[in-house]
Amino acid sequence: MSLERIEAENITVKYGKRTVLDSFTHTFEPHKIHCVLGPNGCGKTTLVKALVSKYASGKDISYVPQNVYGNVALSVYDTVALGRYDKSRFFTGLTSEDKELVDKAVKDMELEALSDRIFDTLSGGEKQRCMTARALAQNTSWTILDEPSSSLDIRHNQLTMKKLESLRDNEGKSFIIVLHDVNTAVRFADSFILMKEGKLIAVREALDEKILSEVFDSPFEQISPRDGTSYFCPL
Amino acid sequence: MQKQHNLFWLKLTIAVIATLFAVAASCCLGSSNVTLHEVFKYFSGMKDELPSTVVTIIGRVRVPRVMTAALCGGALASVGCVMQGLFRNPMADPSVLGISSGSALGAAIAIVSGLNIVIIGEGFTGSYIGAIIGAAVTWIMVFMIARSSGEYDTSSTLLAGIAISSIMSAFITVLMTLHMDSMERVYMWMLGTFSSSTVAKMKVLAVVVAVCVPLLIWVSPQIDVLKLGREAALSLGVNQSRALGVTLCLSSVLLAFCVANSGIIGFVGLIIPHIVTFFRVYKARHKLLMCFFVGAFFMVVCDSVAKTIVAPGEMAIGAITSLIGAPYFLWLLAVSRIKAGRKEEKL
Repeated sequence: MSLERIEAENITVKYGKRTVLDSFTHTFEPHKIHCVLGPNGCGKTTLVKALVSKYASGKDISYVPQNVYGNVALSVYDTVALGRYDKSRFFTGLTSEDKELVDKAVKDMELEALSDRIFDTLSGGEKQRCMTARALAQNTSWTILDEPSSSLDIRHNQLTMKKLESLRDNEGKSFIIVLHDVNTAVRFADSFILMKEGKLIAVREALDEKILSEVFDSPFEQISPRDGTSYFCPL
Repeated sequence: MQKQHNLFWLKLTIAVIATLFAVAASCCLGSSNVTLHEVFKYFSGMKDELPSTVVTIIGRVRVPRVMTAALCGGALASVGCVMQGLFRNPMADPSVLGISSGSALGAAIAIVSGLNIVIIGEGFTGSYIGAIIGAAVTWIMVFMIARSSGEYDTSSTLLAGIAISSIMSAFITVLMTLHMDSMERVYMWMLGTFSSSTVAKMKVLAVVVAVCVPLLIWVSPQIDVLKLGREAALSLGVNQSRALGVTLCLSSVLLAFCVANSGIIGFVGLIIPHIVTFFRVYKARHKLLMCFFVGAFFMVVCDSVAKTIVAPGEMAIGAITSLIGAPYFLWLLAVSRIKAGRKEEKL
């Protein structure tokens, strides 16, 4: 399959004279959850947008944006169903296979009770779950998520991440995910892409106090390991 | 879900029937008396049973005017619906983006410079060419500004549209001042009227609408997809620039023909999509279909008022669309607020 891996080679993005992403090179291996970490404005969103723009047209990638513009006057169900949009079909009605995927995505993100609500009237966290469900309905082998849990409560944060974990384990799906919460990343991710000032600082399988403090310019302390995983407390 | 879907077709059927009824009823209105019965006979092919004067009045005067109003109303509402969806802005409207004034300027240049010559039949004249060129120039300007920032930005596009619109309007004013002799003609035409409709003009408009509106309906689901943002749309195979280009191009052609035909009729493109939303029609394709018929219905009603209220004179259609449409719109807005307050949920 053409989409075994995503090979990002020398991606540079400039806004005017400002270089936001400086020659980013990394190969994303499949069947893994890759987590992008870094301080505000380090080019994380630019990176994932660039990856989508570059590879989405020929490949099997879905995308969850960080924030959605206003004025999406569609019901939650119809918004999720946009994930099944197929340009080659004139009739946009859902096939039974589409319906199954949409229903499953709605259920997975616990949106059943909201499915008739209009997207614009949802709270921030509900909108994020809706957008994640839409990407899941797309049923692609890669999904790129830009801070999918920044407005989620703890329960839904865990729900989303555990869903991604089970999709990786059971269906061999792959994810690139931008996160802010270091401990969520530690708990679920297989590989960490650490960025700062538009540059790739390091790629690690596991994190430590030193690299985190360096990337975020803020001290961290390792907490005693649980189930063999080390967690970090920002000081 | 299924329930809502079925209700849409019910709503559409009601809109279509209302439009057909409005068209028939409007055929009765005018300086000489024609009964609804005669109109039905005319349309059901029993022309032989009618006196020839009635056939002429209906066929040459009433039908062209009413059909032109219906087609223009439908087209303007559809264009408004598309633009509000594309720019994700409830205030987007063909006149806001300057395309109306652009095509009006083009048509005005053609009228003033005497280029308003007959090209194909009497229905396709120099002012149409002028309007299309004017619309195209404006469209290219808006589109270039929309794209120049890389990722196209809604608010700067709308702002640019407003600026371009005022430039075009200013040029029309300059043009009219320089050509006092044809000022009245240009002015009357710009206010908007269907009084000069002919069979030939109606046919040209019908062809344009019959080509552009189905194409818009075909591409309209992409408007919904674009709301997810450029990257997510791309992952679904929708290229933002291309979708934007195609839909804006089709809309501009429709608009240019409407403007060349009956001048600038504001407000319809802005208000109809909102009215349709009040009836809980949300999906882009459904909304577009609904807008077409509601727009046609609305315009026919407004034109009926325009030709009867100061008979034997004519009221400018733009004044009527605002006088009927705006209060109704405000009423809907108020009602939805009251409802929202009572139910403690926002629509």
